[in-house]
Amino acid sequence: MYNRYFSLIAGILLFCSSEFLFSQTVNKFPAKTDPLHKKVAMFTELMLGNHWNEGTFLQRVIFPPAGSTKPLIAWYSDCLDVTVEMLVAYCFKYAITKNNDDLQRANQIFEGILKLEKVTGVPGLMARGFYKTDKPLWFEQVLWYPLEWHASTSMPGYRWLGDLSADKFTSLFYGIGIYYELCADEKNKKRAADLLDRFAGRCIDYNFKLVDLDGKMTLWGNYCPDLPHQSLNSLEMLMGLKVSHRITGKERFHAAYNMLIDRYHYDDQQLESKVMWPTEWRNSYDDDHAAKSLYMLMRYEDDRSLMIKYRMNLNIHWYDWQNHDFSFQGDPWFIMLYQVLTGENVMTEDRIEGIKSMWGFEREMRTFKIPVNDGYKLVESVVEGHASTMIRNYWFGRYYGFIDPEW
Amino acid sequence: MKFILLFFSIITAFPIVGESTKNWLTPPQGMVYVPAGSFIMGSTYGDPDERPQHIASTKAFFIEKYEVSNAEYALFDTSYAFENGKENFSVVVTWEQAAAYAKWAGKRLPTEKEWEKAARGTDGRVFPWGNTYNNKFVVWDRTHPRGSALAKPESPYGCYDMAGSVWEWTDDWYKPYPGNNIPMEQYGEKYKVMRGGSNFNNHSFIRTTQRYYVPPNSTANYPVGFRCVKDAE
Repeated sequence: MYNRYFSLIAGILLFCSSEFLFSQTVNKFPAKTDPLHKKVAMFTELMLGNHWNEGTFLQRVIFPPAGSTKPLIAWYSDCLDVTVEMLVAYCFKYAITKNNDDLQRANQIFEGILKLEKVTGVPGLMARGFYKTDKPLWFEQVLWYPLEWHASTSMPGYRWLGDLSADKFTSLFYGIGIYYELCADEKNKKRAADLLDRFAGRCIDYNFKLVDLDGKMTLWGNYCPDLPHQSLNSLEMLMGLKVSHRITGKERFHAAYNMLIDRYHYDDQQLESKVMWPTEWRNSYDDDHAAKSLYMLMRYEDDRSLMIKYRMNLNIHWYDWQNHDFSFQGDPWFIMLYQVLTGENVMTEDRIEGIKSMWGFEREMRTFKIPVNDGYKLVESVVEGHASTMIRNYWFGRYYGFIDPEW
Repeated sequence: MKFILLFFSIITAFPIVGESTKNWLTPPQGMVYVPAGSFIMGSTYGDPDERPQHIASTKAFFIEKYEVSNAEYALFDTSYAFENGKENFSVVVTWEQAAAYAKWAGKRLPTEKEWEKAARGTDGRVFPWGNTYNNKFVVWDRTHPRGSALAKPESPYGCYDMAGSVWEWTDDWYKPYPGNNIPMEQYGEKYKVMRGGSNFNNHSFIRTTQRYYVPPNSTANYPVGFRCVKDAE
């Protein structure tokens, strides 16, 4: 009898604690003084426990009491970027460990990326993110452009966020390209190639634009030679076409790559992809996309004159990167990436210390204006950022021998 | 059609260059004069809703040189709060708020035709200053005040910031141009058209012909402000 009451009370306490007090699945954080490998392992557990959404990863998750007890309330706009970084991390990890668990995790993430296309119901149209729900949740009105959320017709019960942007475009080719190189078996190589064929093919069909469900170009999806666009986008499109050709083997992508260079001089435009002056216009987030593009292009391109131009672009970025103080989470990656692509030894003691000090995120409290029938109510809640960049940095560094497993 | 547009763009370019301003009406404070007449509207290379490129015309009107600022809007809506030091930044409001301000000020919101003509003049240019984009020609996102583009380019009639800064409301519902048969479920009397783009988005969105749709009772989280017009009688 006593045991039954004890079990009942324990059960109630467990329910309360899990649903209301500690509804985050994972709550253990590393200490700043922990070795790097331990920090990476613990942040990976936090990502898998608190950010996992059917094969994708949510970027910044808002915990109760702001919304559901499930990790569904989040920013979805950069979901594809975060998901791809986790895919890339597992690809580099698997290349080192050859552990089947790492391979399976990479494959699960690949399935999540495929779902980002499936949920839109349009071949080659990718969503920024998706979630399963009976009805639209409040964050759609607050955290991004509410008109860009759609009910899925191909996956009933799901809602998805459109308006795919240039950085997501870059992430997709970079992530799928590395997955193809390091992880995918023959069956998944074919599926990866088919995905890029549909995605890049649709973009070319629309004259090098990302076109949304409404038939209009997305807010950032402009690679069109007939429209004014950012020089960075010229670089990204060249990378997308290069990777597509490499993986699908289809001449169409090679022809498009050459056309954009020969007729529209994208190879020259890409040289201006980093805005250097005024200095306050320098943008590390743009650098991240340039770095992904150059990493793929400079390993795949064998035309010497083009390689000189891509190297020039890298040199311009390096002028800025070499002075970074590692405050941006991508900084350690820029340093390692530069050394991988150039062969120059740029790894100083300070930079090594910077890599050892990499950190994922802190939780923070934020107040949200939640729409209710007669206006808004203010709710304070915990927000958890993501650690995908740090985890990617780590396995990239391990793969290329920059990071000692004992660190 | 191409030759008609070419011919039209040549003959209409001259009045702007050569016409004496002494015949123009004197605009009210803070406004510029846009004469009556035709201009090239729409594009052949943008989104489907910009087509067909066609000849449109307007009556003469005055349009404000700058977007309405926080400080100006606060004179109308005394409950409107904004950050200290941002008096001269463009206001961000719903269409309903913008229309109410315009009425209060004895003005109105521009039609799409008026907005596009004021932005590009009569020669069919891509941007208010010409056909080439440069970061120095636009206000850097919303972190800078009105008119602070490094090059401070004017539109053909003397307006600032019609490309970039914040989007700008027009009076019109989002509808297809005459002769456009490409279906869009958003057409009708549900959304108002905003123009001019924000630098936060890609360069193509600050073209003078770019159209976008937002419901009138919301900004839908877009940075959208406005400028007013007034009939020239």
